[in-house]
Amino acid sequence: MVKTFKDFPGVQWVEGAGEFIKINDEKCIGCGNCVKVCLAGCFEIMEKKAKIKSLEKCLECAVCWYVCQEEAIIFSWPPGGTGYKSDWG
Amino acid sequence: MDEDFDIIVVGAGFGGSVAAKLCADAELKTLMLERSENVGDKVISGLTIPFQGFLFAPAFIRDGNPPFERPADGIVNYIIKDIDKGDIEIDDSLKVPKPLSPIIAFGYNTYCKPFCQWQARKAVEAGVELRTSTTVTNFIKEGEFIKGIITDKGEKIRAKIVINAEGSQGILAIKAGVREKYPPETISLADTYDYVMRKEDIDKIFGYSVKMCWGWDEQKISPPLGYGNGLMVWPYRSSIHFMQDQCLRTDQKSVPNLGKLFDEYHHNITSKLLWWKDLVAPRAKLRARMWEGFEIYVGLNKKLRKMPNHTDGMILIGDAAGLESTELCDGVPAAWYSAEIAAQVAIEAIKANDVSKAFLKKYDDKIKAHSIIQWSIKGRNRYNLRIAQQEHDIKKLKKYIHQGWGLGSLTHFTTPFMKLLLAYVKEDPTIITKWIKMYFRYYQNWLHESYDYVKKKVIKVTASKRVRKKERKFLSTLRFIDLIMKSMLRIRRVLKIIIIPLSNSLNTLMRKSLPIIEPINSAIIKLLNPISNKLSNKMIKFVDKANPSIFYVY
Ligand SMILES: Cc1cc2nc3c(=O)[nH]c(=O)nc-3n(C[C@H](O)[C@H](O)[C@H](O)COP(=O)(O)OP(=O)(O)OC[C@H]3O[C@@H](n4cnc5c(N)ncnc54)[C@H](O)[C@@H]3O)c2cc1C
Ligand code: SF4
Ligand code: SF4
Repeated sequence: MVKTFKDFPGVQWVEGAGEFIKINDEKCIGCGNCVKVCLAGCFEIMEKKAKIKSLEKCLECAVCWYVCQEEAIIFSWPPGGTGYKSDWG
Repeated sequence: MDEDFDIIVVGAGFGGSVAAKLCADAELKTLMLERSENVGDKVISGLTIPFQGFLFAPAFIRDGNPPFERPADGIVNYIIKDIDKGDIEIDDSLKVPKPLSPIIAFGYNTYCKPFCQWQARKAVEAGVELRTSTTVTNFIKEGEFIKGIITDKGEKIRAKIVINAEGSQGILAIKAGVREKYPPETISLADTYDYVMRKEDIDKIFGYSVKMCWGWDEQKISPPLGYGNGLMVWPYRSSIHFMQDQCLRTDQKSVPNLGKLFDEYHHNITSKLLWWKDLVAPRAKLRARMWEGFEIYVGLNKKLRKMPNHTDGMILIGDAAGLESTELCDGVPAAWYSAEIAAQVAIEAIKANDVSKAFLKKYDDKIKAHSIIQWSIKGRNRYNLRIAQQEHDIKKLKKYIHQGWGLGSLTHFTTPFMKLLLAYVKEDPTIITKWIKMYFRYYQNWLHESYDYVKKKVIKVTASKRVRKKERKFLSTLRFIDLIMKSMLRIRRVLKIIIIPLSNSLNTLMRKSLPIIEPINSAIIKLLNPISNKLSNKMIKFVDKANPSIFYVY
C-alpha cells in the first residue's frame, strides 16, 4: 500500500516502514531541537520529553538525528522498499 | 571462508553504480544493494551537475547518452539590496557566452531518478547483480576487517571489498566505528519545490540560466548569509526546481525553527520578487515538495576532513566519504571521481590479494592528489558571506558572490581545472575531440529528447547536401585537432617546462588580470552579440539536422 498527503505533493510513502526512528527517554532533555527542524511534524514535546507523533510523512532526511546533541534519537533506515519515494528529487 | 562476491557496493546513487560498473567491467563478481524499491526513489538532489563532472567522468558517462533535463549556460545572481523597493543588482558574469552557449554548457540540470537509473542499468549490463528493496543494516566484521554486509532480512553476504556509497548520513560507517556523526553546523537542510511549467515559458523566462538570489538577513527572503544558500531556481525541460536551504545550527547554540523559517522565506520571495510574482507564479503549478540534508561545510572542518575514507576491507566514496562540495553543492562530480578511483584501487587490491587498510591507502592518496575534489571541498566563498552580513558591507557581499558564482571563480578554479585537464590530455590526446563530441551529442539528445533507454523521438537524418557538407567539415576539424594534439605530445618535454608551471600559477594570474580582462571581455561580448546570436542559431540548426553518428565516440 502506498500513501500520499495533500500538503506534501509528489511524494509517496510505501507502508511497512515501522518505527525506524526511536527516542531514548532517559537521554532526552526535551530541548525541542528535533521538533524545530522536522518539516514533516513527526515530533512533539510531552511532559518535557520528545515523542514521535507519527513517521507517516517522514522523508528520512535524518536532520532530527543531527540536531539531537544528547544522542537520544536512535536513527536507522526503514526496511528495504518501504518509506518515502519520489520521481522529482 | 569463501567470499560470495569480489565486491559489494552499498547504495545505487550517483557514486555507487559507477563503482559497481567499473568493477564488473574488470570481471569482478559484483553485487550492488539499494534500500529503495526502485533506484533513485530516495535520491533528492538533481539540479546542476557541472561541466567538469562530465569532462572528467568515467568514459561510459562522458561518451554515453545520459538523460538530463536541460543544459545550463551559467548563473544569474540577484543581489537583493532591498526587495520592497526592488533595489536589486545582477551579477551574470558566470555564463558561457554565445555562440558557444548553449551547446558548450556550464552544466546539465537533471532529476536524480532517471539519471541514477541510467547509471544502474549500465552497471547491470556490465554484469553487476543489483538487489533493490534491500537495506544494509551492518557489516560482517572479523577483527578490524570488514568482510561483508548484513541485510535487513538478516542475510549475511561476504565479499573481498565493500565499497560504501551510502550517502551523506553515513549511518553504516558510524556503526562500523570508521567515521563520526557530523555536527549540525556542517549540515544544511534543503527544502525543494518542483513546479510544472510549459517549455516555451521556461525558454523565455530562464533560457538556460540558473537563477540565484542573495539578500540581507533582515529581509527574510533566504537563510542568513553564509548559513546556507539563498534561493536557487533551476530550469528543467518543462518544469522548474526551487531550492532554499539552511544550516541546522546558526551559531554555537541555537537550532532554528526551520519549518517556520522556510515558510517565511518562501512566502517573501515568491510574493515580493517581481520576476517570480509576475512571470513565474502565473505559469507554474506545484507538483512536488521534498527535503533532504546535505554536507554543506564538512570539508571546511580539518578534523572532519581527516576522518578515514577507507579501512580494512572497505572504501568509502562520494558523500559517504565527506566529498560534498562546500561552495556550489556540486557533490556529483566528486561522487563519480571517487567511485572511479575506488574501483581502480579495489581491482588492484584484489589482484594483489591484499585488501588491508595499508593497501587501500592508495585510494586516500589519490583523493588527496585530485585537484578538483580538493578544490571543491575547501571553497569558502559561501561561508564568507557571513562576514559581508556582519559588516553589512555591500562591497564584500558582491565580492564573495562574484568569486563563488560569478567570473571570479576563475581566480580559484583555473589551476585545479588545468591540472586535471593536462593529466587527461597527457593520458589521451584525443580527449579534446571526445569532449567536443560530448557537448554536441548531449545537445542533440536534448533537442530530440533522445537518451539511452528513453528514446522518445528517433533523430531523423536529413538528406540535405548542405548538412552533409557541414558534417564533413565538422569531422575534418576534429581530425585536425586530434593531429595537432598528438604531435604536441611529441614535444611533451618542452611543454612540461612551460605548461605545468604556467598552470600552477594560473589562479594568481587570473587574480591579477581579471579586473582588467573582465570589463574588456563583457564589452566584446556585447559588441559581438548580434553576430554571436546568428552563429549560435546556425550551430543549433546544424546539430538539429546532423547525423547523430558524427557525434559518437567509438
Ligand atoms: C538538495 C540537494 C541539492 C544538491 N544539488 C547538487 C547539484 O546541484 N549538483 C551536484 O553535483 N550535487 C548536488 N548535490 C549533492 C549530490 O546529490 C550528492 O553529492 C550525490 O548524490 C552523492 O552521491 P552518492 O552516491 O555519494 O550518494 P547518494 O546519491 O545519496 O546515494 C546513496 C544511495 O545509497 C542508498 N543507501 C543509503 N544507505 C543504504 C543502506 N544502508 N542500504 C542500502 N542502500 C542504502 C540510498 O538510498 C541512495 O540511493 C545536492 C544534494 C542535495 C541534497
Ligand atoms: S533533540 Fe534530542 S534531546 Fe532534544 S527533544 Fe529531541 S530527542 Fe530530546
Ligand atoms: S528524518 Fe527528517 S522527516 Fe523524518 S522525522 Fe527526522 S527530521 Fe523529520
